[in-house]
Amino acid sequence: MDSDYGYSSEEDSYEAMGSEGDSFDFDSQAEMETHAKKIPYVVYDEEQLRERQQDAVNAVAGVLSISDAEVVRVLRQFKWDANRLNEEWFNDEESVRRKVGLLEDAPVASTSGKATCQICFDDFDLKNMRAARCKHYFCKPCWRGYISNAISSGPSVLSLRCPLPDCTAAVPQSVVKEVVSEADVKRYDTYAMRSFVEDNRQLTWCPSPGCENAVESRAEVGTDPMDIVCKCGATFCFQCKEEAHRPVDCDTVGKWILKNSAESENLNWILAHTKQCPKCRRPIEKNQGCMHMTCSQCRYEFCWLCQGDWKEHGERTGGFYACNRYEVAKKKGDYDEEAQKREQAKNALERYMHYYQRWAENDKSRVAALKAMKNVIEQKLELLSELTATPTSQLKFLPDAWAQVVDCRRILKWTYAYGYYRFGEQALGRNGAAVPADTLKQQQEFFEFNQGQAEYFLEKLHGMAEKDANQFLDQSVPADGWGKFRETLIGLTDVTRNHFDKLVQELEKGIDTMLHAYGGDMDTDELEGPSAPAPAAGKKKAARPSKKARAISNKGTSSSGAAAGVEGDSDGENGAGGSDWGFWQCHTCTYVNQDPRRHMCEVCDTPRTQK
Amino acid sequence: MSGVARGRLAEERKAWRKDKPFGFFARPETLPDGSTNLMKWNCHIPGKPNTDWEGGYFPLTMEFSEEYPAKPPKCKFKPGFFHPNIYPSGTVCLSILNEDEGWRPSITVKNILTGIQDLLDDPNPKSPAQAEAFMMFTQRKAEYKRLVKQQALKNPVPS
Repeated sequence: MDSDYGYSSEEDSYEAMGSEGDSFDFDSQAEMETHAKKIPYVVYDEEQLRERQQDAVNAVAGVLSISDAEVVRVLRQFKWDANRLNEEWFNDEESVRRKVGLLEDAPVASTSGKATCQICFDDFDLKNMRAARCKHYFCKPCWRGYISNAISSGPSVLSLRCPLPDCTAAVPQSVVKEVVSEADVKRYDTYAMRSFVEDNRQLTWCPSPGCENAVESRAEVGTDPMDIVCKCGATFCFQCKEEAHRPVDCDTVGKWILKNSAESENLNWILAHTKQCPKCRRPIEKNQGCMHMTCSQCRYEFCWLCQGDWKEHGERTGGFYACNRYEVAKKKGDYDEEAQKREQAKNALERYMHYYQRWAENDKSRVAALKAMKNVIEQKLELLSELTATPTSQLKFLPDAWAQVVDCRRILKWTYAYGYYRFGEQALGRNGAAVPADTLKQQQEFFEFNQGQAEYFLEKLHGMAEKDANQFLDQSVPADGWGKFRETLIGLTDVTRNHFDKLVQELEKGIDTMLHAYGGDMDTDELEGPSAPAPAAGKKKAARPSKKARAISNKGTSSSGAAAGVEGDSDGENGAGGSDWGFWQCHTCTYVNQDPRRHMCEVCDTPRTQK
Repeated sequence: MSGVARGRLAEERKAWRKDKPFGFFARPETLPDGSTNLMKWNCHIPGKPNTDWEGGYFPLTMEFSEEYPAKPPKCKFKPGFFHPNIYPSGTVCLSILNEDEGWRPSITVKNILTGIQDLLDDPNPKSPAQAEAFMMFTQRKAEYKRLVKQQALKNPVPS
């Protein structure tokens, strides 16, 4: 009971502290927006979608005074853009009607008597025949054949015209529903529903297999990637339907995926099973035998373990089979042209491998985290609740942390695709112009520094959610540390979320802008100056979150995260915000201290508030 | 529309006999046992007067499926027929014969045959079906004309 009370009071005080700050409202709003991926959208299930479509139809039917079925037809022609339809309809109703085949009723001589069906050439009573507004009568069996056939050939049946050659009259829905089988009517309706989503720029299906939800974007759909979280749990990009990939743009993702599908299989196998011959660089698969390798191509003899020359192996290196010569200094020598080419090709591959491996590892990790999250929710929560005497409702922070890990792994993963293309040999800036090499290098360092920071936070969070939580599960640590753990993890989750949200936002603005805004004095002139630019310097101690935190707080959107607002340039005391969950960043060495009670930096012993 | 096909084809046959365009020939195939197969028609299309095709009398088969007239018949010249819109197999590529394009159930055999006759001297360079005739038609007109005339001579009207 005591501990229960303790938790909730902390929760209260945390929120109270937050709302005291002037900037809190703004921040929390901004935070919520970024958390909701900025784009307001709605997810519909089948039923809701039907209602939504009916609403769209009603809205137009009232204005144009034509039947619902006809509205569907016109709207479809205009990709369900009611505004454009209204505009064109009132501008030139005739032309719109012609386009969709909504002709004015043709005069008809009589509705009784007989007529010849122009399909089967049999004579029928007119009352057993049907026609579109053009009044070209056909018998019902012929209509059925015509329409069923069109239904089986796809959604184009929705704009089916009269069977007479060159007649453009639209086949009325009433005729369709009257003559074809029930199954076909159903298919027809399905096409109509699909058209509502597929022809509509504002709507899209959830691409997850088996999910039948549709998503409507409430914002004007442009070309920027848009992360969507469907009710089914799938995350995807509204634009390209690939997995959600902000801050990377859809083109890059497309290129990357294509490249991977072409190369990854081979690459994976080669990575897993081969080493290169140290001399000729051909990949070699070792499928049997000892470490004494002889390259089948160049006959070079080497050691499989250290890849050094076999001749140098012997007693003095600790025996043939206990090779300890792994760290061999690279021999320097002149390359001939051939070797240089080989080197280049190798470098290109290695560069791709570098990014691909990290991309793939993060993806693997994301999938594993997703699994772990399920496991936590389904099995561990209850156990933890018992062990720590906490109601499960108060353990929500653990799945939350996991969800954050999953999210971050995804973002991090895509930053590698970004890096691969952004800093390649023919890298182009936002405006499509080539970036000078030194600027590029600077940008790359800055980017990698930020990426490193993000990775740092994520690793911490991941480790904590996994290992530290498990310690409580297997009871290797006393349960009374639980409160502290909870507090820290909540804080860390928040910090990480902030950090990643900002990273996404900033990268979307473009690395040039980002560098410019945060780099301050980093003009190209100073690049080669003796004083290394801040991010580059920061990179060297990338293990410590530092400049990025400062950089972000400069933005003025500093909020409650330790990543943000710990070391605002304008306000050294801003760091108080960081103590909410225990993290605070040293002003001098930029190390993030994890003990809130400490008044000295763990690393450099500088007092906490001193600048 | 099963069952409709034969009825409709019988009507087509009647209509054809009543009103046949000049110079054309179309008749359901006669099987060895003397019966008539309504589902396959043997036809001949004359080249239009005052064109390079004049004097030609080109054999063509029309194969109808049970789904006819919901689906168009398959129209074939002899394999190797020289024309930009005829596939090497002899199959005619024409919008009104394409289910997904211009085909409508009320297009008659007569419409089809006159449509193909029009196509002969008025190829559609937007949907080439064979490389040879297409390349020649677009690049070496004189040679193309020569080959068309040659083809017409090889398929004379029976006297």
